[in-house]
Amino acid sequence: MYKLKLVFSGITLLLSGSALAFELDWQKALQVGGQTLQKVQQANRPVTEPQEIELGHGIAANLLGASPLLDNPRAQVYVNQVGRWLSLQTDRPDLPWQFGVLQSTDLNAFATPGGTIFITKGLLQRLTNESELAGVLAHEMVHVLSKHHLAALQKTARMNIASDLAGEVINDKGNPLLDKAVQAGTEVYARGLDKNDEFEADRKGIVIATRAGYDPYGLPAVLQMLDAANAQDSSLALMFKTHPAPRDRLNLLDKIMANNFDGYLVPDQTDKRYKSELAELK
Amino acid sequence: MKKIFALLLLGWLPLAGYAEQQTSYTVRATEIKQQPFSDAETVGMLLEKARVKVIQRQGGWVMIGSNQGDGWVKMLNLRSSSAKRGDSGLQSLFNLGRSGSSGITVATGVRGLSEADLQNAKPNPAELAKMQNYAADKNQAEKFARDGKLNAQALDFIPANGN
Repeated sequence: MYKLKLVFSGITLLLSGSALAFELDWQKALQVGGQTLQKVQQANRPVTEPQEIELGHGIAANLLGASPLLDNPRAQVYVNQVGRWLSLQTDRPDLPWQFGVLQSTDLNAFATPGGTIFITKGLLQRLTNESELAGVLAHEMVHVLSKHHLAALQKTARMNIASDLAGEVINDKGNPLLDKAVQAGTEVYARGLDKNDEFEADRKGIVIATRAGYDPYGLPAVLQMLDAANAQDSSLALMFKTHPAPRDRLNLLDKIMANNFDGYLVPDQTDKRYKSELAELK
Repeated sequence: MKKIFALLLLGWLPLAGYAEQQTSYTVRATEIKQQPFSDAETVGMLLEKARVKVIQRQGGWVMIGSNQGDGWVKMLNLRSSSAKRGDSGLQSLFNLGRSGSSGITVATGVRGLSEADLQNAKPNPAELAKMQNYAADKNQAEKFARDGKLNAQALDFIPANGN
């Protein structure tokens, strides 16, 4: 349309041959151009928070379709308390944060936009204390805080969530555009995020856990466990496929932690409740 | 026979406890400390690529046993030596011992989170609704922290270059 009008104004210019006409038409062309620019800006505007939450809930429902929740209310409540306490140390404490332990015996954890976080029973069973759990949850929470999945979705699905969902009644469960975004969003979990997003989640995750009073070395200890695990084990297949090698992640944390995290307390007073709340899992 | 049993045992231990009893090596020259603190007394010195046995972890420190002595070293000075266990031959021996067939032994249990599972997943809104019932609010989270004697502390994010 923009091109057509420009051609049209060019023709007008040729026909009129007057400087005035040129001026007027050029203004008109600029106006049209301006409208186009506005449209582009609108398309690139960030997804609103309600859209982010709605999309995240849709993806979370899909993940729960792949693996339901572990039937253990005590463990579910406990993991929610650790996670919600961590969320208060972030710049998005008012998101509807919720945490779920999945039945799956795979070792993995997921974050969906808007603050829904999952950890598998398989991974939870391999952890040894509350600081390690905090480290895993905080890593996932950074994906939410930095909107990594939204970025991956915008980039790889060749779709624009903001413009697709703009003006739609997002609570309408029958919204085909939302369904499309949810489907494309779920596929991001099979493919994985950008490597640098994972490194950022490690780097910031240890800080969030430390802010909450946890041992900064909880997440590095989990990565040591994963590094020592048998890479051929099928319970690690998706996690290893969608994340940088644990050794590379350890090398990065080694570099940035150096001596900066000496002198923080290691809260062993939480060990007792960790063991009792998760007793049925171990 | 005794030898095979020992090999099986070696294969079993890291799987059972992962972090416990695993063999690691140093990625740089490392001081062995008497206690898990930087200013604790140095009781030994490990060169780069020295092998150690990891006994337990406390914060950023692990208790190790080595030819150069026992004590505490910084966890991030170590990397696991057992990462390639899967293709060492030891693993297949172990699998043979456990499942009676060669090749990869798949642990039993509920999976549902393979790449294909995710791509084919159908939404389960009932589970999502159930999950929302377990969510904690701010007050509950703060009480949980108090009960665990966890104190919030200010700390800035660290830039990617570590400086």
